[in-house]
Amino acid sequence: MSAAGKRVARGLDTPFEERLFQRVVLLVPLAGLALFFLYPLAIVIWRSLLQRDGAVGFGNYREILALDHLWRVVWNSMVMSGLTALICVSLGLVIAYAMSRSRIPLRWLVSLALILPLLAPSLVQALGLIFMFGRNGLLNYLTGMQMQIYGLPGLVIANSMYALPQAVMILAVALRYADRRQYDAALVLGASPWRRFVDITLPSLRFGLLSAGFVCFTVTITDFGNAAVIGGNYRVLASEIYAQVVGQMNFNMGAVVGILLLIPTLLAFYLEKVAAQRGGTQEGAIPVEPDRWAPRDIPLWAASYLTALFLIAIVAVVIFASFVQLWPYKMSLTLKNYNITTHGGYDPLWTSLYASLITATFGTLMLFALVLAQRKMSRGPARLVYLLAIIPVGVPGLVLGLSYVLSFNVKPVFPGILYGSALLIAFCNFYHYHSQGFLTMVTGVRNVPRQLEETVTTIGGGVWANLRDAIIPIMVPTLISVFFFLFMRGMVTLSAVIFLITPKLSVGAVSVMRLDQAGSSTQAAAFSVLIMLTVLAAMGLMRLLLLAQARYNGRPGKGEIAA
Amino acid sequence: MTLDIRGLSKFYGTFQALNEIDLSVGDSEFVCLLGPSGCGKTTLLRVIAGLESFETGEMMLGGRDLATIGARDRGFGIVFQSYSLFPQMTAAQNIGYGLKLRQRPRAEISARVEELLALVRLEQFADRLPWQLSGGQQQRVAIARALAVQPALLLLDEPLSALDARVRAGLRTEIRQMQKRLGIPTIMVTHDQEEALTMADRVVCMSAGRIEQIGSPAEIYARPATRFVADFVGSSTLLSAARAAGFGVTPPPGQGDSLFALRPEDVLIREDAAAAGRVRSITFLGNVSRVEVDWQGETILAETHRLPGFGEGASVDLSLQPGAGVWVQP
Repeated sequence: MSAAGKRVARGLDTPFEERLFQRVVLLVPLAGLALFFLYPLAIVIWRSLLQRDGAVGFGNYREILALDHLWRVVWNSMVMSGLTALICVSLGLVIAYAMSRSRIPLRWLVSLALILPLLAPSLVQALGLIFMFGRNGLLNYLTGMQMQIYGLPGLVIANSMYALPQAVMILAVALRYADRRQYDAALVLGASPWRRFVDITLPSLRFGLLSAGFVCFTVTITDFGNAAVIGGNYRVLASEIYAQVVGQMNFNMGAVVGILLLIPTLLAFYLEKVAAQRGGTQEGAIPVEPDRWAPRDIPLWAASYLTALFLIAIVAVVIFASFVQLWPYKMSLTLKNYNITTHGGYDPLWTSLYASLITATFGTLMLFALVLAQRKMSRGPARLVYLLAIIPVGVPGLVLGLSYVLSFNVKPVFPGILYGSALLIAFCNFYHYHSQGFLTMVTGVRNVPRQLEETVTTIGGGVWANLRDAIIPIMVPTLISVFFFLFMRGMVTLSAVIFLITPKLSVGAVSVMRLDQAGSSTQAAAFSVLIMLTVLAAMGLMRLLLLAQARYNGRPGKGEIAA
Repeated sequence: MTLDIRGLSKFYGTFQALNEIDLSVGDSEFVCLLGPSGCGKTTLLRVIAGLESFETGEMMLGGRDLATIGARDRGFGIVFQSYSLFPQMTAAQNIGYGLKLRQRPRAEISARVEELLALVRLEQFADRLPWQLSGGQQQRVAIARALAVQPALLLLDEPLSALDARVRAGLRTEIRQMQKRLGIPTIMVTHDQEEALTMADRVVCMSAGRIEQIGSPAEIYARPATRFVADFVGSSTLLSAARAAGFGVTPPPGQGDSLFALRPEDVLIREDAAAAGRVRSITFLGNVSRVEVDWQGETILAETHRLPGFGEGASVDLSLQPGAGVWVQP
C-alpha cells in the first residue's frame, strides 16, 4: 500500500476549550516547578561554582575538600545515617512482621506509637530524649544514673525514632504482597517455619528491605532538627551547611556542601528506583493470613511493645515537661509554659498554620492538574513529566531552603518580593514534598477508568462534565489524602524553612528550636505539644472525611497517605 | 441513516492497525465485528466512536463526514465490557445522565428514565448504586444509559464478556430483541463466534487489521471465503487440492492452490476393518462426539451423534455428505 506524504490523523475533533484546558493543566504546574524548583536549584549549582575572586570554577570545591574537618563531617554523617538505617530496617522488619503476620494483641497501641513521630517536627524526638536521658533528665533525677546522650548515640536514637515509621510502612507493604499459595506449597513439601521464612519471606522482602534502608539513610543524612538539638559536638553535614550559611554568611561554601549533600541522596534515590522497578508485585496474590506460633511471636511482640512504649514514653515526657514548673528542680505542674511571649510568641504557629493551608491547597491543585495533563500525554512526554515531578524527593530540604535564600533573597522586585513572606515558605514546603504527593496522585488517577471518561465523551460531555462526573468523584479520597499529607508535612518540617525565616516571620518548628536553644526547654516542649495537637486534629479530620466519603459511596476508601 | 466506511486505515507509528476497511451499516442493522484479540475489531469500533483517529479513507454517517465531527458531537451510544457506570450515581441517575447533559426538563428526564428502566426490567432497582447491582444488572443500566439519548448508532464493546455464562445467554437475547424493537443500527465487537452467529444480521470477520469476510451468520459458517474464516468460525479440516482428490472433489478451474474446508458434521464415519482411516481420539461433547481420524497422513475431524460404536484405534471409512465442503483462499 502506498503511504505517500504525511499521514494526517482525522476523526478526533478536540474542541477548543478542551485543548485550552489541557494546555493550562500542563503549563501552570510546569511553570511552578520551573520557578520554584529548577530555577533555585540551578542558582545553587551556579553559586557553588562562583569563587571568592569572582571567577567561575571548582575553587570552592577544592577549598572545601581540602578542609580536614570536612572529611570527618562526611564520615560522621555516613556513620550516623548508616547506623540509623540498620536499626530502623531490623526493628522495622520485626514490627512489620509482628503487625502483618502474627495476631499481635493491642495492635492499635503499636500503630498509635508509630504515628507519633509523624505528628511533630523531627527535633521533638531529640527534645524528649534529652528530657529523659539528658544531664537533667528524668532518669538522672529518679535514679541518679548518668548517661551521655548528646552526640552520636542521641542522634542515632532520635533519627531512628523519626525514620522507623517509614521503614515499617515500606516493609508492611512488601509483606502484604506475599502469596499464601507459596507458603501452602512449602508447608505441604514439609518445610519448617524457619525454612519458610528464609526461603520465601526474606527473598520476597529483598527490595523492600533495600528500599527501607535507603529511605532511612536519606531522610536522616539530611535532617537538621535532631542534629541541632542533640548532636552536641558531633558535626554532621546538615549542621555544617547551617554553620556555613547562617553562622559565617558563606553562601557559596554552603552551596558547595549542599551539592555534596545531593550526591548521597540522589545516589540512594536512584538505587531505590532501580530496586523498586525490579521488585515487581504479582497480581491476584492471595494474602497470607496471620497465625500464632509462640516461639516466634513472643520475642517479636516483646520487641514491638518495647519499641512502642519507648516512642510513647519520649512523647509523653515532652508533654509532661510542658507542664513542669522548672525542670528538673521544681517538678510541680503549671500552665505557665504555654504563656510564650519570646521569639514571636504564638505568631509562628499561626504562620505555620496559614502557610500549611496554602501549601495544601495550592499543592493539591497543582498536583491534580499535573496528573490530569500527564494522563492525556503520549508515553515519552508523560515519562518526562513523571521524572521531573519526582526529582524533588532527591533534594534534601536543607538544600532546597538554601536554594530559596540564594534565589529569592535578592534585590529585583520579582522574585525578591516573595522573600520573607509566608507564601514563599508555603511554596518551599510544597516543592519539598512534591514527589510524595505526586506519586499518591498518580496512584489515585489510575483508579479512574478511562472508559468512564470515554463514556462521558460519547454521551456528549466536555472536559467539565468529565471532571465533575468521572474524575473528581473517584479521586476524592486521593485529593483528601494529598491535601492533608501536604498540610501535616508543612506543619512539622524544619530543614527547608530554617533558611526562609526572617526576624519578622518564623514558623512553629523553628520556634521549638529557638526556645530550646535559648534554654527554655519546657516552653519548647509546650510549643511542640501545640504543633502535635494541630497535626493530630488534621489527621483526625482527614480520617473522618475519608470515612464519611467511603460511607457515602458505600465501600472502603482507597486513599492512603504516602509516607 | 447508514454508516459508510470506505478505504479506512489507521496507523500506530509504522504499525498498521486497520487496513483499507470497507464497511457499511444500514438502518436498524445489527453488525458484529468478530475476530481474535489483536485483530483490530476494538480499534475499528473506537475509530467509529471518535475515540481514536484514522489516517486515510472516509467515514460518513447519513451523508455527514465524521472525520470532522468529534466523539462528543456524534450522538452515539457506547457500552463497554467493564460497565463503566458512575459509582456515585444511582441506576436512574446513570440512565438520565445524557439527558441531564443536554439540559432537558426534569419531567422529561424522569419520564424517559422510567421508560428505559422498564425496557431493561430494572424498575425496582432505580435507586440502587452500581455496587449494589449484579454484573448483569449493571450492564443493563449501561445499555439503558446509552439508549437514553436516542443514539444514531449503538456501539457495544464486548458487552457480555465480563458476565458468567447463564447471564450472558439471557442478556444476548434481551439485547437482540431490544435492538430489533427500537431499530437502532448497532455495531458489536466480540471474540465469541457463538455470540456473533446468534445475534448479528451480518458478521464482519476480521484478522490482522483487515476484513476477511462480511456476510450473514449462515454465509459465514457455510461459505467461508478464506482459510482464516473457515478455521476461526466453527471447526474445519483444511485439505490441499491433492488430498481433497481422495474424496473425489477438485478445485474450480484456475484455483489450484485453494484449500478444501470441511466441517466435521459433513464427514460421515463408518467402522470398516479394511478401511485406511484410523481413529486417533474420541472426545465426548454430550449431544455429539468429535472424532479425530488419521487418514492419508492428515488428521480429519468428524462428528457422530452421541457416543460412536467404536473405540480409539478402530479402522474406519470416511465419506462426505452431498455438497459438503467449500474451497477457500489459502
